[in-house]
Amino acid sequence: MLDVSGTRLLVLSALALLNACAGNGAGLDANGQPLGSGSAPPPPLTADFQSIQDNVFTPICVRCHGGAGAPQGLELDAAHSYALLVGVPSNEQSGLLRIKPGAPDSSYLVLKLEGAAGIVGVQMPFGGPPLPQSTIDVIRQWISDGAANSPAAAAVSSAAFAVTAISPAQEATVAAPLTRMVVAFNHELDASLVNDTTVHLEHLLGEAAEPAGPFGAELAEGNPRVLLITPRRALAAGRYRLTLRGNGGGALADVDARVLGDDYTREFTVDTTP
Amino acid sequence: MIIRSLRFSARCLTLAVLLAAGAHAEPYLAVGQGPKCSQCHVNPTGGGLRNAFGNVFAQTQLPAHRVDTGSDVWAGQLSRYLALGADLRFDAQAQQVPHSKTLEDFQMEQTRLYVSASVIPERLLLYVDEQLAPGGALNREAFGLFWSADHTWYLKGGQMYLPFGLRLQDQTAFVKEITGINMTTPDQGLELGWLKGHWDAQLAVSNGTAGGAGTSNGKQSSAQLAWVESAWRLGAAANYNDAAASGSRSAYGVFGGLRTGPIAWLGEADLVDDRSLPNGGVEMLAALAEANWSIARGNNLKITAEYLDPNRQVGHDQQTRWSVVYELTPVQFVQLRAGVRYADGIPQLATEHTRLYFVQLHGFF
Repeated sequence: MLDVSGTRLLVLSALALLNACAGNGAGLDANGQPLGSGSAPPPPLTADFQSIQDNVFTPICVRCHGGAGAPQGLELDAAHSYALLVGVPSNEQSGLLRIKPGAPDSSYLVLKLEGAAGIVGVQMPFGGPPLPQSTIDVIRQWISDGAANSPAAAAVSSAAFAVTAISPAQEATVAAPLTRMVVAFNHELDASLVNDTTVHLEHLLGEAAEPAGPFGAELAEGNPRVLLITPRRALAAGRYRLTLRGNGGGALADVDARVLGDDYTREFTVDTTP
Repeated sequence: MIIRSLRFSARCLTLAVLLAAGAHAEPYLAVGQGPKCSQCHVNPTGGGLRNAFGNVFAQTQLPAHRVDTGSDVWAGQLSRYLALGADLRFDAQAQQVPHSKTLEDFQMEQTRLYVSASVIPERLLLYVDEQLAPGGALNREAFGLFWSADHTWYLKGGQMYLPFGLRLQDQTAFVKEITGINMTTPDQGLELGWLKGHWDAQLAVSNGTAGGAGTSNGKQSSAQLAWVESAWRLGAAANYNDAAASGSRSAYGVFGGLRTGPIAWLGEADLVDDRSLPNGGVEMLAALAEANWSIARGNNLKITAEYLDPNRQVGHDQQTRWSVVYELTPVQFVQLRAGVRYADGIPQLATEHTRLYFVQLHGFF
């Protein structure tokens, strides 16, 4: 058994050893990535999404909010953040959108960053110092300006109209109640084409299929690239098929009249087992 | 009255004798005293509501001075079937980041209420851990727990903290951060536990969405195995999360504790291979070493050193953090904590060079 002074010496030695291990940053850029890896230092923060992604979400938030196991399923890497933030209801406060374009005071992201009284859980970034108010003010400004996507993402709009993400995913099993299905497109969807014919939800019963019951389908508030499909009554346990009509008269199309091209079908299972 | 006081003293004496195997909420207390988490907690993996033994221990052995309440000792039991507990942490703190103004504020870190219903005493338990503050109510844990008749096996189902490594009080520790498994990210699933002799083992399957709804067929599997001796313990844990469409995430950890005189040592090292990130994956390494020096009853000095390599494929990007925290438990149910956390990292990122000074009021029962 060690005596007290010996143990204290051991503690101090361990501390000195560990404290000496912090990296000196040699060969790294302003975000801690290797120089020349394509991650040039981002320009100063401005009130546009790309700048906020590069200066806030990527260097600070993705450390926890990335990949499998991202808290609340909120992935904030560049590939997912916009679709999962703008116009999408918060998991913690379902009455609020994570980002409500034009309304920073009603955007849950801002409330979490500011540690406002109405949040559930702790202020973000978790475990780190709060963002400077000047940074939050830039995010507020971007939301006040309409929370538009980045020019880089907009450049993608020349591509064919397509689904970029869907939840539940193909062959997913989700626990009841399934309150909402989310479909993200690469272009702004023509809301006038969203109806019972172009969006179809069926309950699969062996080889047969029947309408799954009434549901609502509308574009996410402030994010017309996201379609929210909400069952009006709880879906029973079983297998379901969601079909987005992609060709023929009345097919889903973007605001430039580019249609999906093919019917888009995804099947999933609702599980009511506790 | 005298007889009642003598009975109570006898009970305390019995508990003191039993304390060769008695413990409380934090892992250092378990290491310092010797037993498994289930000795003092309703949840066999530790944390949250204390059982009657844990409650009496917290009142008689933890505080520097015990306010005499005669024979009335809070044991958490509202009735034979219902038990109640709570935990409140309120901070006054100052945070410094280079080139930024020091932020000084009061902060309600958490107020949590624990309720359990032993609907079949010793066998079937319903348990809820509800965070009441800050902000609105937030369910942390809600599960049913079924014990085998000899308390060797149990099956837990519902929302729970996953078994992986030391269940530290500091949820911002690097080892808790990189694994993504801590007491702010419960998951929904099943846990099978085995507690026999010196062995303590858990196997869990869960959604892998850290509190979000399940969105795929992929699941998260967690396994933990520990050997617990009176003066030391050693364990290993593994976690595989296949819940993301873009890839999987694996975590492996070793952890342990050692008592040397008045000092309880804790250690953990975790390796995470995250292939679910869009940039192709990252391998992270985090380690923690902690010494808890029990200077006198009710007085504990906690010194923690941490290390993080956020990307093992990239050099010179390591971070360190050390903490010095003094914990005074003057009377039962009340703890005062004061400390400093000093973080160091690459010079390019000011947010890796933080200083946190805090005083915390910790109330619990």
